[in-house]
Amino acid sequence: MKQSSHGGSPARELTTWFQLRRWLKARWNLNLLLGVISLTTLAAVWELGKPLGIPLISNVPPPSEVIVAAQDLLTSEQYWQGWYLSLQRITIGFIIAQIIGIPLGLAMAINRMTFDTTFPVIEILRPIPPVAWIPISIVFWPTREMSVIFIVFLGAFWIVLLNTIGGASHIDPSYKRAALSLGSRPNDLFWKIILPATIPSIVTGMAVGMGISWEMVVASEMIAGDTGLGYLLWLSFQINAIGHVIVCMISIGIAGYCSSAIIRAAGEWATPWRRLF
Amino acid sequence: MATQGALAIRHAGKIYDPEGVHVVALDDVSVDIGAGEFCVIVGPSGCGKTTLLNAVAGFDQLTDGEIVMDEQLLASPGRKLLPGPDRMVVFQHGALFPWKTVLWNVACGPIAQNRMTPTEANEKARELLGRVGLAGAEKQYSGELSGGQKRRVEIVRALMNDPKILLLDEPFRALDALTKSVVQEYLLELYDYSRKTVFFITHDLEEAIFLADNVVVMTTRPGRVKKIVRVDMPRPRTHEVTTTDRFLQLKSELGAAIHEEALRAFEAGERELA
Amino acid sequence: MASPDTTTALESAAEMVSVRYPWRIRVRRWLRSPRPYRAALGIGVFFLAWYLLIDAFKVWRFGELPGLVNSTQEWLSADPIFGVSLFTAEYYRHIWTSFARVFAAFFAAITLGVPIGILMGWRRIFFGLTFPILEILRPIPILAWIPLAILLLPGREIPIIGLTFLAAFFVTILNTLLGVRSIDQVYFRAAQSLGFSQSHILWHVIIPGALPYIFVGFQIGMGACWFSLVAAEILSGSAGLGYKVWETYYYVQFPTMVITMATLGLCGYLSSGLVRIVGNRLMRWRAKLLAGV
Repeated sequence: MKQSSHGGSPARELTTWFQLRRWLKARWNLNLLLGVISLTTLAAVWELGKPLGIPLISNVPPPSEVIVAAQDLLTSEQYWQGWYLSLQRITIGFIIAQIIGIPLGLAMAINRMTFDTTFPVIEILRPIPPVAWIPISIVFWPTREMSVIFIVFLGAFWIVLLNTIGGASHIDPSYKRAALSLGSRPNDLFWKIILPATIPSIVTGMAVGMGISWEMVVASEMIAGDTGLGYLLWLSFQINAIGHVIVCMISIGIAGYCSSAIIRAAGEWATPWRRLF
Repeated sequence: MATQGALAIRHAGKIYDPEGVHVVALDDVSVDIGAGEFCVIVGPSGCGKTTLLNAVAGFDQLTDGEIVMDEQLLASPGRKLLPGPDRMVVFQHGALFPWKTVLWNVACGPIAQNRMTPTEANEKARELLGRVGLAGAEKQYSGELSGGQKRRVEIVRALMNDPKILLLDEPFRALDALTKSVVQEYLLELYDYSRKTVFFITHDLEEAIFLADNVVVMTTRPGRVKKIVRVDMPRPRTHEVTTTDRFLQLKSELGAAIHEEALRAFEAGERELA
Repeated sequence: MASPDTTTALESAAEMVSVRYPWRIRVRRWLRSPRPYRAALGIGVFFLAWYLLIDAFKVWRFGELPGLVNSTQEWLSADPIFGVSLFTAEYYRHIWTSFARVFAAFFAAITLGVPIGILMGWRRIFFGLTFPILEILRPIPILAWIPLAILLLPGREIPIIGLTFLAAFFVTILNTLLGVRSIDQVYFRAAQSLGFSQSHILWHVIIPGALPYIFVGFQIGMGACWFSLVAAEILSGSAGLGYKVWETYYYVQFPTMVITMATLGLCGYLSSGLVRIVGNRLMRWRAKLLAGV
């Protein structure tokens, strides 16, 4: 499988993340101190960039101005509407990607014929960057809303599909043999072995897919939208309200971070046996 | 006979204290290994064998006691010991660099330490590899080798550095019985050839008796020395000695002591689970 | 990897002769298996569906889209209606512009990203200082940087390259960091025992050990480059494939839009293929390990 042939399987990457987090916890104090130092330095350089005339940085409004801009923006209705609409588009597009991607991925992993016929088509379509689909999506879908959702869907779809295929086709065959010798019927095999064993890689795919979804919603709102956080970002740039641009960037960052955190939490809830790691 | 590499561990103690749970891993362990002696430590899992070896290797610090080599103090609680090529380690799961060829793996130590030129090191490496029956495998990546071959390469890699002592941490644990017996004989051959001091850890009693001059039996947690038995069978040994009366006698003598500890370890494990 | 506990001494002797069939035999085997025919079937159904939905019956909104016949004709025509085909210089000009941007950005990203990632994985203090900044910046989608990139960086070209760079930069750092952390501690211990110097450890343990992850990062990074390039070109470019996709939409030159999309896919595929080939070259030890499954 393409995903896993070069490098660790998704599950292994996830384990490394857990190790990293555990390691961080063990050294929390030193890292806390260093983190405070580095972030303070970052903020100081940013703030002092203008008065000191540091190239590049002096073009950006300093944090103090951004805070003023934030107060301005956070009280506007357009901003909160942007949150609402972007989140809505993300949710719908992302869920459709799961609804299509996971079953298709499982089917491709279980059935050789499905895999052999479908995979080449996927390999043709997948390298086209999702952003390049924006124009054709505007042409095809009756409303702008639908085209944005389609782009979000596309962003999350490939990675979820590939992770599902990768996860489901790399299950240790001895689990299946054990289940069969214990008298499982093929039906049970799917629900009790294949599906649970694939969940970790599905979750990894979802977490990555969520990140791409946010990229896509921002891109399509900037390019083709007239509402949403991405549009607000572009609008602020065009009316030269750079403070607002930065507030929008931070907002999108927070939104993306929270949605990935939700997925990770859901993943940990769905795979209690992995908490041992 | 070797004149270097006499190792003395005196009153070694190690207390782990993760999150306030006091675990005594080693308690007043004293072992004396003469220069050129093959010493095997046997004990059930969790008796602190590996902790002891790591302390000698310099990967881990003792909380009590000292390590002396050739009359020279290496480590004591206030004196941190760093790993070095005078105490070469062969690891439990192997540590050949899989991204390098066998030859590179074997020759890298002396080159890194600037003791040999690459040509000399390669020549010596080829010679030693030939001695363990791996003459054709130099250009292969170490990941391509089988388990038994890897172990042989690893022992050769350790010997290349001309260490004072060889530390082997259950090196044959993952091998099947047949491969194990082959590699054991290679190890003895290399031992007879180099006469290095060897500090060998295992939980396999037969392996211990077959290889050792002295077998040290350790107790389960806290790790203490339970018994030291001298194996007075002549060298060079081949696997035929495992059927001699003396071997069986030693085996039953040590077996009782080990079994007792294994039971205690097992029960302790049951208690921890309960 | 063959597990060591199942290999006997006898088997190990046989293993020393590694078996790899020449490509001709492998191709013949592949042709004898059902896979190529199934693949042809799948691709055939895809193009047939395209033809039937769009060209032939104009089902629902599919009628709005460029047809298979139109697009192919346009692509292969020596005198294309909308000015871009395999035989026009403009086509190659756009390809070259995009490729040059992607490669400039990608090489900048890996020459900066790999050393930073290695330092982060290797040196605790450096990790503590840089990881929080990375974690704060990383959740912000790359494309949200477009306005700031246009604002900060001079000219029209540098913002596009800068943005493309950023996409690969974060991915490279993160994967290199994970790669260094994924190296088993036992190799560091062995290196210490063997008396390796710090530079020896860097060149012979850390870099080769992290390389598989680093190359996964390169692969993802290359994809991310194309992806941000298209967005950046749409929003601020005046040439390049991304720009062309948008321009053809704007001027309703839909067959050319399909050509450009297909070309983008092809370019993306070729450049990740290139990364993969280089990776396999550099990690022959690993390829052999994986082949021995």
